[in-house]
Amino acid sequence: MTCTRTFTLAVATAACLAATGAAQAGTLENLERERAIMVETILDPSLTAVERQRKIVLSQNRLVDLERMVIRDKSLAGKNTPVVKKAFENYDLTFLVHASVEKNLSLMDHWLSQVGVSTKNVMDARVGRRW
Amino acid sequence: MNRFSFHQGPRSRALILSVAALLLSLSATAPTLAETPNWRPSASERLVKLPGTYIKKAIDQDFQESPLATALGDVGTRIGNKTQTLEDLRSAAERADGEARNELQQQFLAEKQGYIKLMGERQDLRRKQIKTKVHLYEALLRKLERRGEGTSQAMEALAKNQEAAKQRFSDSVATVDMKLFNSSTATESKYGKEYAKNMAAIENLVTAIDAHPMNVQPEFDGQPLSKQDYLRQLIAEGESDLAILNQEENILGYMAKLVALDAMALSEGLADDALALGDDGDELSSPASAVDFFITRN
Repeated sequence: MTCTRTFTLAVATAACLAATGAAQAGTLENLERERAIMVETILDPSLTAVERQRKIVLSQNRLVDLERMVIRDKSLAGKNTPVVKKAFENYDLTFLVHASVEKNLSLMDHWLSQVGVSTKNVMDARVGRRW
Repeated sequence: MNRFSFHQGPRSRALILSVAALLLSLSATAPTLAETPNWRPSASERLVKLPGTYIKKAIDQDFQESPLATALGDVGTRIGNKTQTLEDLRSAAERADGEARNELQQQFLAEKQGYIKLMGERQDLRRKQIKTKVHLYEALLRKLERRGEGTSQAMEALAKNQEAAKQRFSDSVATVDMKLFNSSTATESKYGKEYAKNMAAIENLVTAIDAHPMNVQPEFDGQPLSKQDYLRQLIAEGESDLAILNQEENILGYMAKLVALDAMALSEGLADDALALGDDGDELSSPASAVDFFITRN
């Protein structure tokens, strides 16, 4: 009985260790995930302006570290995968926080300008039915 | 007229000696390579990755542990002993008279043959060492050049983008720190603090590595050399060593001819008091240092 319990415990421990290993993502994947959360926050219509701002600030602090981890990650040097290629082709979208500070824009304004949405575009838009 | 009879004592011995010397003059400089010990270094990836100056040190160290180095050291010791014997025989021949002097002169000739043979062996071992070293440098150079060729256009573009991103990022880091972390609402993260602390330690280590004598970059005329250029220079040095060996082989050939002529002169009875009695020469590294034993005929 004791033997079976010990065996079960060992299998469970091994499974936990394996799960931890599998869950470990690269620096770029972590950055992508946090960035997706940030974009979701920007676009979420259910949030009030104050809530949105609070969430953005929190996310921004995490993004600063994650962006630095990506740029310092030596394993990405010369890693010719589509994800890495795309990330470094679009600096302004990948390194959102650093690029927005560099351009002296708020994070939201910077992201919107990068995806082609400007105040002028919004103001010029007409409300109508899409056929 | 039966001068070549085998019953004439020292004369017949001198004749045998002269024939032996002639044979030696033909064979001294070309002993069989199959019998020589080996040194088989390989152009490993580890060697390619080493810093320029350390490549040479690592190869030299590898050679020192090889049977070829042991054999070379052994021949060097035997040459040293042989040179001492030549010195002793020369002094003894100077002091001796009559038959004893004749005997000593013959012994001196025999020892000179031995010396040439040993020098020939040493030349072959040295040639083998230098050729192996040059081939190794060439293999390393080829590997280094192949590494550069493997980069595709896409890889080049990615490397360029990554370099540009790093540059742009480093320009904005200070501004980001100032704008985001100087406010009262946000403080620097644990990662940021730990990274800065570790970075200071890394910088100290990098400074120590740069200043380390084993990490000194190769230079030529005060200008730093790339690894490829350094290897090319080592190959050129190896080739010049081979050229010097060829020249030394000529010296050995001439020495062998002189020994043959001395032996013939002795057998003809014309060489009284005429054999190699000259100045000292104790440098063992080159056959040129022992030329005095062969050319002095006073």
